[in-house]
Amino acid sequence: MVVERLAEIVGPAHVLSRQSELLVYNSDGLPGYRRQPRLAVFPGTREETIAVVRFLAAAGLPFVPRGAGTGLSGGALADDIVVVGLHRLKKIISLDVENRRATVEPGVVNLRLNRHVSPHGLLYAPDPSSEAACTIGGNVAENAGGPHCLKYGVTLNHVLAMTVILPSGEIVELGSRVGERDGYDLRGAFIGSEGCFGLALDITVKLTPKPQAVRTLLADFTSVDKAAHVTSAIIASGIVPAALEFMDGATIRVVEDSIYAAGYPRDAEAILLIELDGLEAGVVADQETVRRICLDGGARQVRVARDDAERMKLWQGRKKAFGAMGRLAPHLIVQDAVIPRTKLPEILATIHAISEKYSVMVCNVFHAGDGNLHPNIAYSADDPAESERVHKAMVEIMQACIAAGGSITGEHGVGLDKMGYMESIFSDASLNAMCELRGVFDPEHRSNPGKVVPVHACKEWHGIPGSAKSRGEREASPLEAEPSRPFAV
Amino acid sequence: MSTDRVAAAIRDSVATDRPLRISGRGMWLDAGRPVRANASLSLRDDTGVVSYVPGDLTLTVRAGTPLAEIADVTSERDQWLPLDPYGSPDGTIGATLATASAGPLASSFGLPRDLLLGLEFVNGRGETIRAGGKVVKNVAGFDLSRLLTGSWGTLGVITEVTVRLYARPAVDRTFVIDLGGPEKQVTSIVRAIVTSPLAPYALLLLSASAARSIGVGESPVCLIRFGGNEAVVRAQVSALSQISRPEELETKIWLAVRQLDGKSHSSIRISSLPQRVVAHAARMLHDDMPFIRTSIDPRRGILRIVVQSDGDGHGDRAESADLRVTGENGGAASEVIFEKLPREVWPHVSPSVVGDGLSRGIKTAYDPHNVLNPGILGD
Repeated sequence: MVVERLAEIVGPAHVLSRQSELLVYNSDGLPGYRRQPRLAVFPGTREETIAVVRFLAAAGLPFVPRGAGTGLSGGALADDIVVVGLHRLKKIISLDVENRRATVEPGVVNLRLNRHVSPHGLLYAPDPSSEAACTIGGNVAENAGGPHCLKYGVTLNHVLAMTVILPSGEIVELGSRVGERDGYDLRGAFIGSEGCFGLALDITVKLTPKPQAVRTLLADFTSVDKAAHVTSAIIASGIVPAALEFMDGATIRVVEDSIYAAGYPRDAEAILLIELDGLEAGVVADQETVRRICLDGGARQVRVARDDAERMKLWQGRKKAFGAMGRLAPHLIVQDAVIPRTKLPEILATIHAISEKYSVMVCNVFHAGDGNLHPNIAYSADDPAESERVHKAMVEIMQACIAAGGSITGEHGVGLDKMGYMESIFSDASLNAMCELRGVFDPEHRSNPGKVVPVHACKEWHGIPGSAKSRGEREASPLEAEPSRPFAV
Repeated sequence: MSTDRVAAAIRDSVATDRPLRISGRGMWLDAGRPVRANASLSLRDDTGVVSYVPGDLTLTVRAGTPLAEIADVTSERDQWLPLDPYGSPDGTIGATLATASAGPLASSFGLPRDLLLGLEFVNGRGETIRAGGKVVKNVAGFDLSRLLTGSWGTLGVITEVTVRLYARPAVDRTFVIDLGGPEKQVTSIVRAIVTSPLAPYALLLLSASAARSIGVGESPVCLIRFGGNEAVVRAQVSALSQISRPEELETKIWLAVRQLDGKSHSSIRISSLPQRVVAHAARMLHDDMPFIRTSIDPRRGILRIVVQSDGDGHGDRAESADLRVTGENGGAASEVIFEKLPREVWPHVSPSVVGDGLSRGIKTAYDPHNVLNPGILGD
């Protein structure tokens, strides 16, 4: 009955209900988590989307909005409920070159928007490494970042307004397309709500003029520690690079062995990829300052990309590093903690010690300028003993980052993966305040249930049919969300 | 005043049914709609740095800390919080965030919400809540920091904030350009600056009365501030000289700009598409009335109008300005933000900006007894 009704709205080709067809949707970019949806529906227009959400509301059915499924927190997984896939909503509705803004549907791919605006000398600044696949709607849900967020800010700083359909089916305008407005910043509250507040039907983003000059520097080091200290020194110098990325020796060699080989020095123990942009005169001066800081800090050499082709190659290695890890083992677990930037040398040493203790290979490739770490471990989830070691190592790394005054996630979101850590950084009252906010947008907790805030932290909320809590679903905790848990279809 | 004392005051207010007027140092109490309160809660004594790690470019302070004190503390390490809201530098960081107040630096460094990393607040039940954190990038949980910014104390009393700092530029120079020429010429100068690759820290156009009030001349002017390394500033000054004839001013002129309001009885911001504001800027600047001070940030698309107490403008000018910006292309082409109006005018002009279902729901959840600044944003 549900399938038939949804098929009437979107057409039978765009509803999946056979378990085998739904396998594709049982994970996101973090394959350690698997949840099998009951069915998936893919509206092709705004009107169909509205009709789908309103039908689900009338039927009281919980659902999970999903973009391209490139997320890294298990946030887009639907546990025996409905997936509402938005990737078919890919219209660029309007582009206002003069005022530097564009309005797009949620399924527009990040890189496609950039290609669309590029001929006009503009760019959309947030550039997650998954930019070739991820959608603007997903970026809004996760408040996505990317290497260039160091200078330009994250999704939050680039979204002006949205038309949102709440889980109840009500449509609201958040923010303003024409300017700033007063009242509560509902736009700000919605961005990063991980699909728990409803879904965006259209999004108006701010575009940025392309910089006059760009320089990409590659500094290589014989120790991780030296590169970490140089990172802190560059930040402390006051120069704000467009990007400041760190890759350790293990990552360098994996990338160089892969089809994404970028020409990184294989014998280095760390490299920094530093991009400076802005007005030509200023960039030239900053380039010299940064080069000096790198050499004084023990860099073996500092190479400057000679042209766009070389620059792209250096960036490709960085952006495809997670993909290259696929060479090492079938599964990958990635963290996203953020630490104060002065703590970088000591935390990297701690991570190294933890990896030795558990005999796992941690690769570090991350946004050093923001202090946003991405320690990742390639492993085989089919080996229970290895999985357990990997998991223990990851928990210990996270605890070290929290102890250093950090956050559990800088850009990937909480999803399922980090929900168990929420209580280590937020008090009961703070978590309850988050639940209350969610309760205003989605009183029945039907949109992406069981994510972000542990259900038991919600004082006033006792669950409704179809919710994680009432179905007795276990909440993920750091130790039980094992990637090794066997997945049964 | 500690967080515990703020919480106790709020619980007491609930118990005795005496709603609170929340304030920092009380520098801008005449802004916003009239508050229905019969008790007050000031954060003025809750001051000081909680933690400052210059190498991280982050600063955590108590909410009652004046912006001037933050400027002093950070300048010792050649850093700054690039936040220059209109009003006295004695105003507090808590009030600045609560009212989302910004100045000319916002078009380069962002609005208060963009500089905020995390905060602590006490809700209307007296519960202490922390949002965000102390690191520069953070998506852990729903974004209560953004929600509290600009909520004018109605969802919670901000007690502590963490902000991101920037290094002070090696060079920081300010120039003034006379815009007394014909409208057409003024428009072309402004358009040339806005569409050029110039990346000034601040760009502000002032009407003659505004310019006069801060002593930068008798005709409309453009103030432009460049910061960065020596080379980038020199290149921009040279490029600007191709567009017009800039004269250098001391950087402290921006302190005077912040005091532009003087003794005002109304202040209004009109926010619109930047190009629309550029197109109308010259006319707005030339329509000078001695008791009205107009400033325009063309890159942010903001026109700000301050009516002096000795005039009798009563916002008429603001309304006509709004119509003018709205008139082109039809539709809701601008947002009007009323900062300050005579008491009796509010119900007619802007009874509420929080009357929608979501805003009401959030208010009820965070301040169920309606004891925090009731009425200041409307009902």
